[in-house]
Amino acid sequence: MKDFFSELLKDIKKNKGAFAGLLLILIFILLAIFAPLLSVYAPDQVIEGALRLPPNSHFQNYYFIFGTDDIGRDLFTRLLYGSRISLLVGLSVVVLAASLGTSLGLISGYFGGWTDRIISRAMDFIMALPSVLFAIVIVAVLGPGLMNAIVAVSIVALPNFVRLIRAQVLAEKNKQYVQAAQLYGASHLRILFKEILPNCMAPLIVQGSLGFSDGILNCAALGFLGLGAQAPTPEWGTMLSDARSFLESSPWMVNLPGLCILTVVLSFNLLGDGLRDALDPRLKNRS
Amino acid sequence: MSLLKVKNLKKSYVTKNLFFGAKKEEPVLKGISFELEENQILGVVGESGCGKSTLAKVLTRLEEASGGEIIFNGKDLRSFSSKEFPHQIQMVFQDPFQSLNPRKKAWEIIADPILVTENISTSEAKQRALAMMQKVGLLTETSERYPHQFSGGQRQRLGIARALMLRPKLLILDEPVSALDVSIQAQVLNLLLDLQKEFHLSMIFISHDLSVVKHISDKTLVLYFGEIVEMGPSTQIFSEPQHQYTQKLLESAP
Amino acid sequence: MRLPLHLNNKLLEIEKLSVQFKTDSGAIEALRPISFTVLEGEILGVVGESGSGKSVTNLALMGLLPANAQITAQKVVFNKNPLNLNSQKDLRAIRGSQIAMIFQDPMTALNPSLTVGYQMIETLRCHFDISKKVAEHRSLALLKRVGISNPEARLKSYPFELSGGMSQRVMIAMAISCHPKLLIADEPTTALDVTIQKQILDLLLDLQKENKMSMIFVSHDLALIKKYAHRVQVMYAGEIVEGGNTEEVIKTPRHPYTFGLLKARPSAHEGKMKEPLYAIPGVVPSLRERPSGCQFHPRCFRATELCKKQAPLLTTAARNFACHHPLEIL
Repeated sequence: MKDFFSELLKDIKKNKGAFAGLLLILIFILLAIFAPLLSVYAPDQVIEGALRLPPNSHFQNYYFIFGTDDIGRDLFTRLLYGSRISLLVGLSVVVLAASLGTSLGLISGYFGGWTDRIISRAMDFIMALPSVLFAIVIVAVLGPGLMNAIVAVSIVALPNFVRLIRAQVLAEKNKQYVQAAQLYGASHLRILFKEILPNCMAPLIVQGSLGFSDGILNCAALGFLGLGAQAPTPEWGTMLSDARSFLESSPWMVNLPGLCILTVVLSFNLLGDGLRDALDPRLKNRS
Repeated sequence: MSLLKVKNLKKSYVTKNLFFGAKKEEPVLKGISFELEENQILGVVGESGCGKSTLAKVLTRLEEASGGEIIFNGKDLRSFSSKEFPHQIQMVFQDPFQSLNPRKKAWEIIADPILVTENISTSEAKQRALAMMQKVGLLTETSERYPHQFSGGQRQRLGIARALMLRPKLLILDEPVSALDVSIQAQVLNLLLDLQKEFHLSMIFISHDLSVVKHISDKTLVLYFGEIVEMGPSTQIFSEPQHQYTQKLLESAP
Repeated sequence: MRLPLHLNNKLLEIEKLSVQFKTDSGAIEALRPISFTVLEGEILGVVGESGSGKSVTNLALMGLLPANAQITAQKVVFNKNPLNLNSQKDLRAIRGSQIAMIFQDPMTALNPSLTVGYQMIETLRCHFDISKKVAEHRSLALLKRVGISNPEARLKSYPFELSGGMSQRVMIAMAISCHPKLLIADEPTTALDVTIQKQILDLLLDLQKENKMSMIFVSHDLALIKKYAHRVQVMYAGEIVEGGNTEEVIKTPRHPYTFGLLKARPSAHEGKMKEPLYAIPGVVPSLRERPSGCQFHPRCFRATELCKKQAPLLTTAARNFACHHPLEIL
């Protein structure tokens, strides 16, 4: 496994886009971790009178590098803390969707028959509905909030993982090493998790990276619609939605959170594409 | 008493028409019978589609027979529990690339059968795997390598080592040398003959290559479209083939 | 097989052809400078195991090597004209029309989504200025010639409807459709059953005589070469280690590797059973980590210090070998 990752890093370094994506992601992670050290304000701290100040402005003895919002909170601080939320949201969505999706995909591909049909049709159902619309329905049932938004977005992301792993299992399970394991009496669980799953890791890593960006984007969308994180949580999508009435008078309030979402999502997509190139043997051997 | 007795074995696959759901039965083994003594090597010869791989799958219980009887060691093959069965029959596969898990180290591949079936520690299993590696002619220094770091012949040795870990009474080899280079084939064939003596193995050696079967087997069985057309001691089959098809096969062999 | 004596015009002459592959982890010498000739109307057998360079030689001749291959050659003459193996334009002019090739796996050599007829007719019209009707007529004649029954129906079939042997016959029909001077058959029967193998090889032999083609017949099986080739050339690790008339090479191999190959293969017709076979020890060397001196010395029972230090040169006679300690002629 160690060789696997060092090899992977080498391949990614060769791909400029993927490497840039990886660097940006690392920067965002550092910003998120050290947010309290990088800002003197708290994310929900209101400075009286400092309403909608443009970037790089002084107010009394305060300084706001990215300006303030409509009730006088420092935008830079809120964006910093927002990166914590976004990365956590992305991570939770990927962990939830990947773990559940992988299990379902393994079961569905390996056992086939009725289990496969039921799982596959359920996934088809999820994919038949527009993803944001379906997420809205789920949140409407569960009630608005960040946690429920994460659950909803994970469910929407599920089919990607299930279908990916299922296809991989279908290809692997007919290979002779699986038959050999059946012959020496290995249990289904052992075959699934010790023999087949390690051979599904490459596409899973790629999908995980792409799922990260989808998760962040969909959660931001729910936040924008008022169904995700609730005020005063500094979630980028929610901030965007709160600021939209000031689009013309104070464009920075909209532009900056939007730019953050764009950068993070783009970084994960670049990294995901790079990983796909590095891990897919068909693409790797092209000369 | 013979180790393996196969009586009127049948296997057919049911194919379903995609659109109309009409079922069609396609017989692959049309009632074959043969016996195998202990310490004997039975060669199975035939061309593609004759049912030789299906025979291997049925005998290893990877697939169920559609009819007939298989008596192994005096008992019905189906009556062995899933705990007992792995110690009776094991198999070596044709493709030395596909038959080893690419994400496992050499010793893990060989040790897995005993880790699954016996209640032993990993370190003990590893010791026994290393001993087996030596027996099949692999250097123990290579135990931490992954399959892709081995050559075709060495990979086939890994497959043989894995099959022997449970000390089966019968080893089924499905085209074990046809993917190997000529100079390596001889090494693997010699190894198999040595191991047969050491482990008191019976073997069913399946191959399309008459010369290899002739070299290794005591008894030969010629399959043609799911039926046995000729069976007997190898010396006899290869010197005085009776059936037309066997004669044609021998004539075609270079 | 003995070569008819009147045939001694050189069709293909190659001097010091070498191929290197550039990879991330350094260059791989797939073919070390080799020289050989193919005479008009002869079948040259090429024997070798994986990594011996036999396929690389053929792909270089056809201009089908991947882009990271570097081909150098001192002299290549085909049909009395010099040929530049690095010029796709040169190669395109002779590929198909003068040099044709059939591959190991006939199932993947045909386009699965087009009918056999379409593929044959297009090939013919690519090389000749003829109408569809004429091309169809010729295709039918060709299919009949290669022994396909009911050729009219086969023209309308898709490749998946054909068996392995039939696909290989179709490939042969397409290969000979332009009357090539040289046919390269790269393990043409390895994927096929023995009875089909014999039929296909007999067919190739007939066609070769009929069209007075030359043939390069590549195989890992010396027994087949013995039956079907006039001359043989044994390759090991990208070098030619022995060559000569097939009968002589097989009767009195001089290179220990050839000797080993002959001994290692059991025969369906003779030999004792169950006796340990003579096995060449060790494995074919990786082209990334080549041994010093003679490439075969780590596996050779006659190797000495000299073999480790110095690579033997191929002798220059028609019956040639590259060994410091050749086996004696008994």
